[in-house]
Amino acid sequence: MSGRREFVGRLAASCAGCALAGARAAGEGGLDPTPARWFRTLPDGWVECGVCPRVCRISEDERGTCGTRENRKGRLYTLVHSRPCSLAIDPVEKKPFFHVLPGATALSLATAGCNLDCKCCQNWEIAQARPEQVPSTTLTPADVVMMAKRKGAPLVACTYTEPVVFSEYVLDIAVAGRAVGVRTVMVSNGYVQEQPLAELCREIAAYKVDLKGFDPVFFKQHTGGELKYVLDTLRRLRKHGTWTEIVALIIPTQNDSEAEIRALARFVRDEVGPETPLHFTRFHPYYRLQNLPSTPVATLERCRNAAMAEGLRFVYLGNVPGHPGENTCCPGCGKVLIRRYGMAMAENRLKGGACPDCHRTIPGLWT
Amino acid sequence: MSVNEGRRRTLAGLAAGAAATAPLARVAEAFLPGAPPGPKSAPSRPVVAIGRRPALVTATGAIDAKVLEAALGAVVARAVGEPTPVAAFRRLFKPTDVVGIKVGCLGGRGVSTRPEVALQLAAFLQAAGVPADRIYVWDRTDRELRAAGYAIAGGPGVRVFGTNENYDEHLVEWGPSASRFDRVLATELTALVSCCPLKDHGLAGASLTMKNWYGAIHNPNKLHDDNCAPFVPHLVACPAIHDKLRLNVVDGSVAQCHGGPGRAPRWAWPYGGFLASTDPVAVDAVGWQVLEARRKEVGLPPLAAEGREPRYLAGAARLGLGVADPARIQRVEA
Repeated sequence: MSGRREFVGRLAASCAGCALAGARAAGEGGLDPTPARWFRTLPDGWVECGVCPRVCRISEDERGTCGTRENRKGRLYTLVHSRPCSLAIDPVEKKPFFHVLPGATALSLATAGCNLDCKCCQNWEIAQARPEQVPSTTLTPADVVMMAKRKGAPLVACTYTEPVVFSEYVLDIAVAGRAVGVRTVMVSNGYVQEQPLAELCREIAAYKVDLKGFDPVFFKQHTGGELKYVLDTLRRLRKHGTWTEIVALIIPTQNDSEAEIRALARFVRDEVGPETPLHFTRFHPYYRLQNLPSTPVATLERCRNAAMAEGLRFVYLGNVPGHPGENTCCPGCGKVLIRRYGMAMAENRLKGGACPDCHRTIPGLWT
Repeated sequence: MSVNEGRRRTLAGLAAGAAATAPLARVAEAFLPGAPPGPKSAPSRPVVAIGRRPALVTATGAIDAKVLEAALGAVVARAVGEPTPVAAFRRLFKPTDVVGIKVGCLGGRGVSTRPEVALQLAAFLQAAGVPADRIYVWDRTDRELRAAGYAIAGGPGVRVFGTNENYDEHLVEWGPSASRFDRVLATELTALVSCCPLKDHGLAGASLTMKNWYGAIHNPNKLHDDNCAPFVPHLVACPAIHDKLRLNVVDGSVAQCHGGPGRAPRWAWPYGGFLASTDPVAVDAVGWQVLEARRKEVGLPPLAAEGREPRYLAGAARLGLGVADPARIQRVEA
């Protein structure tokens, strides 16, 4: 997560040389609306958004919780399609995806807005803002894909804020990318309705879900959302066969109990699959959670051990550069297959998606 | 004559008129006995003044300026417990204050604070000694203000402007959320008037003087869960608002009992009056009653039957922001 902070810091610099060189804050009426894909009309000019479980009922000229979807004359529009506010080239390990094209880069982008309100949001300046409150630029899906090609990135990662709120843009990028061999991945809180998820899963290559806790009360207090919808998303991702990785940010004293971690691990094992990569990442105080210390590494190690004891095969530590928990090890013979340091891949010994020593197949998108 | 110049002349005229209008003095004769409420006096039985004038809105939908001046002046005077509006404003505001009149313009013409009402409040303030340059009328954006009939004015004189995303860079944590406040509110204003339309809200139940403050922060979209009940009271309790809030006025020249917060002409009616109080909870509680009465008249169910009675009022009372219990509110005619 510190990497994310670094990203925000570096963004300004990268913007200058990247697509956001012409970035501007949208002024009055400066937001170009694009028809939203998932909504239904209601009496009296209201609409009900269908992109996320909040199902916001929105009156004319108002917006939903995410701040990016507006009712204009009884129709719902997204104000962020083709309007990224963040753009950078990142290693795919930073998302983190550890089982997707190791060592590859991803053209990473975000628009303003999020449908949750997490107390430790790393990117709150853009995630908890409306689109007119942050500088953005115009970048069509075709532009995004061409930029990825030019930069030698085989992936486009929709990340940093919450790609569910710009799902139409994600979908169009994924379709445009598929035609030229650029794959699209989502880094998301998983707070999405069934229909948009199904449509996204037909086009994207991988989906990373931030599972922000496994206790419904904590989840509600911490994010403003309902845990059950994220669990539904994880089940559906398995059903769709979309490559899935899970991140659990461990916040000291908040969501780090042995019982909670074991319950989380059992859920992943039984309902998503024991070979699903699970990343326990280190919390650092930020945004509205500045009264807690960074997560002790020992706590993360305890979580990892508990999850592995419950039968998960690929459990990683995040935000602890140099820790052995960053490496991918073969569940068959125990040998290190992919060695990492921080956000970088140092060595990849996989042969054809399998262990070169015991030939066990390792699940993932390797080519 | 430019628009601004015209407005300045109008304001000057209004100010002079307000100071000299004889009929307003008669308000004193009917003043309700009892301890006059003052700002932050937290009376156990707050006064909410109600002033209705059938002639306030003309057949063409325009506001009759003289009726407006008399009605608004009377209602504020009664709410504050002073014989004249000028005395009431003098009691609430100092000449050294920088006064912000927060209007609500989300609904465009027809269901927003009328410009004439906001500017009449500004005129009373001037008559009470607050220089025009220290009076701001504002809402979220220039666009919404214009759509509601306001002319943007940068001064000299009373300023009319939108926040236009000019929020203070400091994130203020409050209650269940955190926000960046309008920069002018956070850094310049020393006294506040909340002046909102009288209207229904499809989620909160009623959008009145307290919910009006959603228009002063950068993230109102995050604050609509659970009928807004967890959020409205804590927002109003923020020092940036609570410590400066002196007067709360509901503009009911034309009101709307259903279909809000946007404009729904089918449910609008010429209430033809104003509510005012120094207690934001009490005035909103009375506003809610007015909306419920109208809903009954036109055959709509009570807000509770639609699961959207303004529960934030009870929360506000629990926080000590004012009185929500109708039995403890002194409703006085003005």
